Amino acid sequence: MTERRLTGLAAALDERLPTPESFDSDLRGPRTAARVGVWLGLAFGVAFVTGVFSHVAQLRGADVPLPTGPAWLYLLTQGVHVAAGTAAVPLLLVKLWSVYPRLFERPPRPSRALVLHLLERLSIALLVGAAFFQLLTGLANSAQWYPWSFDFIASHYALAWVAVGALVLHVAVKLPVIRSALGEPVDGDPHTGAGAAPSSGPAGLTRRTLLRTTWLAAGVSVLATTAVGIPGLRRVAVLSVRSGEGPQGVPVNRSAVAAGVTESLSDPAWRLRVIGPAGTVELSLPELTAMTQHTADLPIACVEGWSAGGTWSGVPVRDVVALVGGSDTDDVVLRSLQERGAWRESRLPAEFARHPDSLLALTLSGEPLHPDHGYPCRLIAPARPGVTQTKWLREVEVLPA
Amino acid sequence: MSTSSPTPTPTSDRPADRAVRVALGAVGAAGAAYGLYLLLGQPLDRLVNTVLWAGGAVVAHDAVIAPVVLVLGVLAARRAPDWLRVPLVRLLVVLGPLTLVAVPVLGRFGARPDNPTLLDRPYWAAYLVIVLVAIALTTVDAVRRRHASAGASTPP
Repeated sequence: MTERRLTGLAAALDERLPTPESFDSDLRGPRTAARVGVWLGLAFGVAFVTGVFSHVAQLRGADVPLPTGPAWLYLLTQGVHVAAGTAAVPLLLVKLWSVYPRLFERPPRPSRALVLHLLERLSIALLVGAAFFQLLTGLANSAQWYPWSFDFIASHYALAWVAVGALVLHVAVKLPVIRSALGEPVDGDPHTGAGAAPSSGPAGLTRRTLLRTTWLAAGVSVLATTAVGIPGLRRVAVLSVRSGEGPQGVPVNRSAVAAGVTESLSDPAWRLRVIGPAGTVELSLPELTAMTQHTADLPIACVEGWSAGGTWSGVPVRDVVALVGGSDTDDVVLRSLQERGAWRESRLPAEFARHPDSLLALTLSGEPLHPDHGYPCRLIAPARPGVTQTKWLREVEVLPA
Repeated sequence: MSTSSPTPTPTSDRPADRAVRVALGAVGAAGAAYGLYLLLGQPLDRLVNTVLWAGGAVVAHDAVIAPVVLVLGVLAARRAPDWLRVPLVRLLVVLGPLTLVAVPVLGRFGARPDNPTLLDRPYWAAYLVIVLVAIALTTVDAVRRRHASAGASTPP
């Protein structure tokens, strides 16, 4: 510290703030950070890939061809997305604990090193800020809690790129440190591993114990909150946002009341308007029921990570498309009775529209749809995000390819 | 006297490694730049609100959560007997993050009267059961360690 000459406020701060050397637990440091970091990086990587998939699947009019099966595909990717994010919470906290002393590192004196130091600090600030933002907003969104005024989808998507980009950059900067830390024994002397257990921390707390406890924390968090989608583990997920119960055995994301459609859906004059190259047809509920019905077991899988299976019956979308002169290469737009809301309309790409299990569903479990499930008629298609399974249909338009 | 260079010099940075690092760094920087570009495309009020939440989270961690954990660590090191420290650390590492993860469901902030299928579990009861089970396991662990340390220190 003798070479440094600081004056005024800077000197006072320098004196009062701890330095990296003030922290005496040798359980911190690269050997812990690298090992937790590997899993944390994996969790963020998995969440990023599944998240981008979900984002593309929700885009209207996306030109990216998406797989139409298996039907539970989206259920799986979105369940994994939420589980990876949940597991990342304890991993991120322990990771930051292990490097916390570095926060108090003093910048080098003005030089090329200072520029590099500030750049690295900036990239870390972006990484940590984006990582916290993703976990915080993702968890709140899964419980439909929106205490902010930004657009969740836009910001969560943008900061996903910031988080993963800054993460890859961080790995690039730290690669030699990571490599040497992973090459060293978990506990004891970094080179020989000697003197492992007792000297490693307060009263026998070894790095191995800390790491195992971290994995346990990640496992407990995932089991308690998101295991609801895993058969047999629904009861274990005592902190899940939904029990999986609901009218006709299926939970509801947006109710008829919330969508403001309670009056219009009980209107006896309801007709499904179908628009296509050969003209427009209006179908009443009895007319739809008189058409050839198809039954399919399909899950509703929501972005929030929950899902529920149902047995749906109704008219295949492709039959209605054929009725108005459409072909199996045409995309289909479905519009709801809802007057407001981001998901009152969805675009069903041709590969989904021609799938035999893509239905204009009229019944669930053999009964007419519950109002909250989209009575009188809703879309249900395999491997699609729940929000794009438009409810309370009013209009189907075939877009000639 | 501390060393003037806090970052340890990498032991081996062969040209091939260097190329990998430069490539990784470029990919990462491009990804982050794309994210910032997407963010900047938003209306200003939403952009500001996003930055406030991201920055606020960092401040909440660095200025509140981390110091609290630090103080707990110091207290445990000074006040808690040897046999209690490892069990206490385990309890904190498992229950701390779980509690943060549970905040949205414990508060039921997103609950809506028109949708009884959302947030429909007895979260406080479930949370208390988890806490009690964790404390019970910690107690068993601590008692076991206490016996072990008492046995070890008793002269033969």
